[in-house]
Amino acid sequence: MADGSVTITLDGVDIEVEAGQRLIDALCDAGTDIPRFCYDRRMDPVGLCRMCLVEVEFPRGMALVPSCTSVVRDGMVVDTRSNVVTKAEEGVIEFLLINHPLDCPTCDKGGECPLQDQAFAYGPGESRYVEAKRRWEKPIPISDLILLDRERCILCALCTRFSDEVSGDPLIEFKGRGNHLQVITFPDEPYASYFSGNTVQLCPVGALTAKPYRFKARPWDLEAAESVSFVDSVQPRTSVQASAGNVVRIYGVDVGASNQGWLSDKDRFIYEHIASPERVTTPLVRDEAGFREATWDEAIRLVADRLAEYKGSEVAGLGGARSTNEDAYAFGKFLRTVVVTAHLDAQLDDGLAADFAAAVTPRATFGDIDEAATILLWGADLKEEFPVLYLRVRRAVTGLGAKLVVIHPRRTGLDDVATHKLGYRVGSGAETLAWLKSGRKKHFKGPRAALSEGPVVALVGRTGLAEDPRLAEAVAAFARDTAGAKILPLVRRGNVFGALDMGLAPDLLPGRVAVTSKEGRAALESSWGPLPIGAGKGATEILQGLSDGSIRSLLLNGADPVRDHPSPRLASDALEAAEFVVAFDMFLSDSVVHADVVLPVAGLGEVEGTATNLEGRVQKVNPIVAAPGFARPLWSILDDLAFALGADIGGGSAEIISKEIAQVAPAYADVSWFRLLPGTEGIVVPGSEGTQPLQYIPADAGLAVSNAALTLHAGRVLYDDGVMVRHSPGLAGLAPEARVYLHPADAEALTVGEGDSVVVGVDGEATLTVGIDPSLAKGTIYVPFNQRGSAALGTIGTVTITPLDSGGS
Amino acid sequence: MIPTWSADNQERATALIAQYPEKRSAVMPLLYVASLEHGYVTEEAMREVAELTGLTAAQVQSVASFYTMYRRDPVGNYLVSVCTSISCWLRGADDLLAAIEDESGTLDGEMSEDGTFTIEHVECSGACGGAPVLSVNWELIEGVEPDKGRALIRWLRDAEPETISADEMQVLFGGRRSFEWAVAEPEGAIAPLPAFAPYGTAREL
Amino acid sequence: MTQKILTTRMEEHPSDSHTLARYLDTGGYATLHKALADMSPDDVAAEVKASNLRGRGGASFPTGVKWGFLPEDTRPRYLVINADESEPGTFKDRLLLERDPHQLLEGIALSAYALDVQRAFVYVRGEYSKAARRLQRAIDEAYEGGYLGAGIAGSEFSLDVTLHLGAGAYICGEETALLSSLEGQRGEPRIKPPFPAIEGLYSMPTIVNNVETISNVPWIIANGGFAFASIGPTTSAGTRLMSLSGHVATPGDYEIVLGLTWRDLIYDVGGGIRDDRPLKAWVPGGASAPWFVPETHLDTLVTIDDIAANGSMIGSGAVIVMDDTTNVVAAAHRLVKFFAHESCGQCTPCREGTTWLERILDRILTGQGRRDDLDLLLDVSDNISPGLVWPPAMTTICPLGPSATAPIVSIMRYFRDEVEAMIPVEEGSLVAREEVLLG
Ligand SMILES: Cc1cc2nc3c(=O)[nH]c(=O)nc-3n(C[C@H](O)[C@H](O)[C@H](O)COP(=O)(O)O)c2cc1C
Ligand code: SF4
Ligand code: FES
Repeated sequence: MADGSVTITLDGVDIEVEAGQRLIDALCDAGTDIPRFCYDRRMDPVGLCRMCLVEVEFPRGMALVPSCTSVVRDGMVVDTRSNVVTKAEEGVIEFLLINHPLDCPTCDKGGECPLQDQAFAYGPGESRYVEAKRRWEKPIPISDLILLDRERCILCALCTRFSDEVSGDPLIEFKGRGNHLQVITFPDEPYASYFSGNTVQLCPVGALTAKPYRFKARPWDLEAAESVSFVDSVQPRTSVQASAGNVVRIYGVDVGASNQGWLSDKDRFIYEHIASPERVTTPLVRDEAGFREATWDEAIRLVADRLAEYKGSEVAGLGGARSTNEDAYAFGKFLRTVVVTAHLDAQLDDGLAADFAAAVTPRATFGDIDEAATILLWGADLKEEFPVLYLRVRRAVTGLGAKLVVIHPRRTGLDDVATHKLGYRVGSGAETLAWLKSGRKKHFKGPRAALSEGPVVALVGRTGLAEDPRLAEAVAAFARDTAGAKILPLVRRGNVFGALDMGLAPDLLPGRVAVTSKEGRAALESSWGPLPIGAGKGATEILQGLSDGSIRSLLLNGADPVRDHPSPRLASDALEAAEFVVAFDMFLSDSVVHADVVLPVAGLGEVEGTATNLEGRVQKVNPIVAAPGFARPLWSILDDLAFALGADIGGGSAEIISKEIAQVAPAYADVSWFRLLPGTEGIVVPGSEGTQPLQYIPADAGLAVSNAALTLHAGRVLYDDGVMVRHSPGLAGLAPEARVYLHPADAEALTVGEGDSVVVGVDGEATLTVGIDPSLAKGTIYVPFNQRGSAALGTIGTVTITPLDSGGS
Repeated sequence: MIPTWSADNQERATALIAQYPEKRSAVMPLLYVASLEHGYVTEEAMREVAELTGLTAAQVQSVASFYTMYRRDPVGNYLVSVCTSISCWLRGADDLLAAIEDESGTLDGEMSEDGTFTIEHVECSGACGGAPVLSVNWELIEGVEPDKGRALIRWLRDAEPETISADEMQVLFGGRRSFEWAVAEPEGAIAPLPAFAPYGTAREL
Repeated sequence: MTQKILTTRMEEHPSDSHTLARYLDTGGYATLHKALADMSPDDVAAEVKASNLRGRGGASFPTGVKWGFLPEDTRPRYLVINADESEPGTFKDRLLLERDPHQLLEGIALSAYALDVQRAFVYVRGEYSKAARRLQRAIDEAYEGGYLGAGIAGSEFSLDVTLHLGAGAYICGEETALLSSLEGQRGEPRIKPPFPAIEGLYSMPTIVNNVETISNVPWIIANGGFAFASIGPTTSAGTRLMSLSGHVATPGDYEIVLGLTWRDLIYDVGGGIRDDRPLKAWVPGGASAPWFVPETHLDTLVTIDDIAANGSMIGSGAVIVMDDTTNVVAAAHRLVKFFAHESCGQCTPCREGTTWLERILDRILTGQGRRDDLDLLLDVSDNISPGLVWPPAMTTICPLGPSATAPIVSIMRYFRDEVEAMIPVEEGSLVAREEVLLG
């Protein structure tokens, strides 16, 4: 990045602009609107639409140049208003319109169309073209989500460049040339990208449209609220848009920091679940016949009465990663001060140790990724689990020159750009780490060398649910110690970092305070009153406690342990054994069906509050529609419950809670809604005012290497069989069916082949179809976590595979 | 490697890829080899080239569709390309094309029903000094008057030459040349593709 | 006037000038050996600079100056020979490729030595199969003879030459499009700057030169840059291969020294107009060049500078001659159609504008012209090439789009009455063209 500033003469006036800037950006920053179609700040300029032409002085006189591909230089003389420029603008608009259909009234883009707007502002008014227009068949589906109308396309190449340059899946491309140029996919190879929706948003005309949105609304009827997506902990910034009280569209918002405006299709199309007919919108209580609807009064009364029967330590709370910070805080405060239990956990032992995840230091931000010389990724397949972060890392490598070292049990979405890729057998991570440390083994030399060149950012997490969470910490310790790496702990679930920061873990209090900290406890007790004494239990212990009767009641806050805990068997046993289960949820998930009372909560687009992403960035969540039926925000339900139990947790509104958080949670001292208005970048806590009492230094616990014959890799894929995807029709069909993937040698040893059926046993059993995956290490099998057909499988325990004799090949 | 390709073409593909510092550069040569395998650039051919070069099929299609010599539809045994650019037009190229269409019973841009001919007009063939010119399977003939053009079509239909050679046809049907060609070449085209040994498209006469 | 540089061998030995045996027999590769033994790379480059050699591919850019743009220490560097010759009217590189390929190869070897290049590519248009075969055979011979490959003539210098065949796209003659094509991409021109010398093939410094340009290098090194510079007018040094076509009596390639008049070129060199008909107009330098007419230009000089001063260019040296039988609207239509067909399509004005121009001319030719069409032709042209000035201003990335306006401007300048005469007195209502579904 160039530093300093230079002076240019813009339409006769000298102005200072940032050196090294693209001319088009400099002009716009200076308040001169430059029309454009093919330019987007986030991609390399190509200068092909020719809409942004300006006149620039050269030794031989003024010449037209595209301002998008020009870079400012000192003394540059620029004319944006000359007759030549105006005529060129009119000319380009006329050229773009000669083959553009006049179907604006039925076009999804009508009313928010850059072509329409710029034709109005810069066009000649009337076309002189009397010939036949280009005709293409229209519109054609190019994927399950996207339709293409080539007659409307103005060939700006934003979509093709996005798919190639940004997301790395060039499945949509130019075809033909000259007047026959078109954008298209390959026959039978749809634009099946996790990021396809971005092209719809990029498209400056109505050529690319999204099936879920098609004909749902007209732009002038839309209301929008800036918010964040809860699909994963990247929490990309969104604009949630509604028409007639229904959310109809989600767009990415480019405020730089969190997502540069990009979304995954899951972020973009997941909203369909909120209007699902299967959504719980009324309190439900169980009687002999099953669930029946109840009034809030009845349900609250019932829950309060039952909870009053138990000692605090006989009650536990699970979940919180789907809540706003305010809801999570209220949940924790309710559990710790009203129920008086120390057993609470936002994670389901599917993530990392809470203190490590929440308080690791030094912690990286996404900005650090852009600046990194080397990025170490030993955690998730980012494309599957953190898709928007995947884009960030990809761009850092392809566009910003970072080196990337990927260590993963099988191929990942970043392998094609990785500088070094190492595979390994799940269970032997400690050995792989030792080799990486020494760098003496052949394949480890390069990666080891790359890691000694700073700045290094280490993205560490569990490669799958079968991986020991302590491995990530050991990797972080190594990266920190050798290269001073900044660490980004990869825990995926929506607002899990917010929940941990709000103290939804047995070992954490709100604001990154260890539960064992005397001062921390004292400070919190001065506001909350006495805290429960004794060690709290985490998710697995809670489930075990339910099974053995030491815990009798469970509050489930949007959590689905039957699907998401490493041992579904343990989870369902626990829920069966529980005496009284209260679920705060939107759907009757596989766990919620075990509840005695279901309390309907408000969801996406309905709640207000804040959220914290994996960098620790706090952003605002804003509502745009009313929650359906009797669904309510969690904090207000907890307020009522506390009241019914004779307590006051000081709710009243999310904003009031947020102010309390700022007072009692040291890391959140800086956070106020006023500073989180739309368009602002959010606040990375602890920020300048806040403090982080717990500074967690990762350590290597010294893991053993498993000598099991077969080990399991239980990585996640983007479209899983989770309850949100299941209830979003646009996405539901995209979730693949579960399979078991075997290394060719393992398959041979088992005498099975692609397409055969086998019974896989890991803490449960499932009959699965075999896929062959040479990218796996020998001895590791891969069963994507939480897919249709594999729900009964756990991830911890002995792995067995039994071929079914029928139809072997 | 593409196991369905002939051993020769597999070898060629390997050699062609090895010629370049980056694999992607081999896309164009490989599209010729794939055309030879499949008769033209079929979808299968594009998938194969994609596999060999590490591109997506959509990327290969994007490249293939940019260049007019990669045919994406079936093409006759003899691809007759009549130059109708300015210099040939000035010297009667339109009449030559009409004669060729008439004699072959095949319209410009089409393939004859029996698959013998594909007739097309092309832009400047780089033989303006010998205008009007045409080529058969990219073997050039210069100074072709309409009657000679008709005779050429009849000859192709009757003699069904397996190897097409510019030198042979020039003697039989050609006239004024842009320049002397010197000695006769020992090689010719075996397909409607430029005859070039490294692509396997040329054969000794 | 009779000085020959490029065509001596083929004239003296018409049957085998393309073979290695004949090449060696006529002193070939001796210059390379001498240079490798006695000259430093910089010496070789200095001779080329001193020769005043200017590019023969179209832009007439001084070769030595271009070579000087290479950044000092970025390696590898590449040399790419532009043998895509597709500009209508041009057929001189084919002559050099088919008749004297070793001359080109020796030029490549000398240039590569001067430029510290170890890999050269020759991009031959796909339609030139015979030329490709001849060149490939010459490359094979040169490897066998030790004139290419590792450690040439016992020196430290190594060079690999790869022939790359195009596949039908005029735009690949534009140097950056050519590089895209060579990289296995669509042949789309790139934005300049950066110029190829700074960022070319695989983003590395790359020199792109025309076949004829590089074929001059062996003579320059053998005889000295000064000897070359003293042939012909100072700024049009050396000889020039001119491709004469159209209605001249004896079309063909002619190696001449510039500085003669157009009258000399057309009537002496080209043998006059066929059947002694009157000359109506000619294109002086390939399809992209604005036309000349006898009344104004017949006695002007054929030099790079004179042609430019008269509002056109020598371009690729292709002279297309039209006699009085020529329908100039139809001729312009042919030329515009060519550019529309060859537009890569990435720039809006070129993609949309060239086809629009073609269709207007098509309408006029089929009796459907309207009075407004004359101004429309000029204004659409103006939107591709603002001001319709020379050298052209552009709203496009590369000069292909603006090239399509040259024939329009030419006929409107010299033959406006003929265009007007084709517009029916009674403007009929337009018969809308059938809209064809493209796919
Ligand atoms: C549309 C277009 C087509 C061109 N075609 C050719 C060509 O076929 N052969 C060529 O040598 N140069 C061609 N050029 C010029 C090249 O861009 C480039 O200037 C030239 O190859 C440089 O070589 P030189 O300096 O030796 O002339 C073309 C330029 C344009 C804009
Ligand atoms: S001017 Fe035409 S040929 Fe040149 S880059 Fe633009 S669209 Fe392509
Ligand atoms: S925005 Fe600059 S050319 Fe398109």
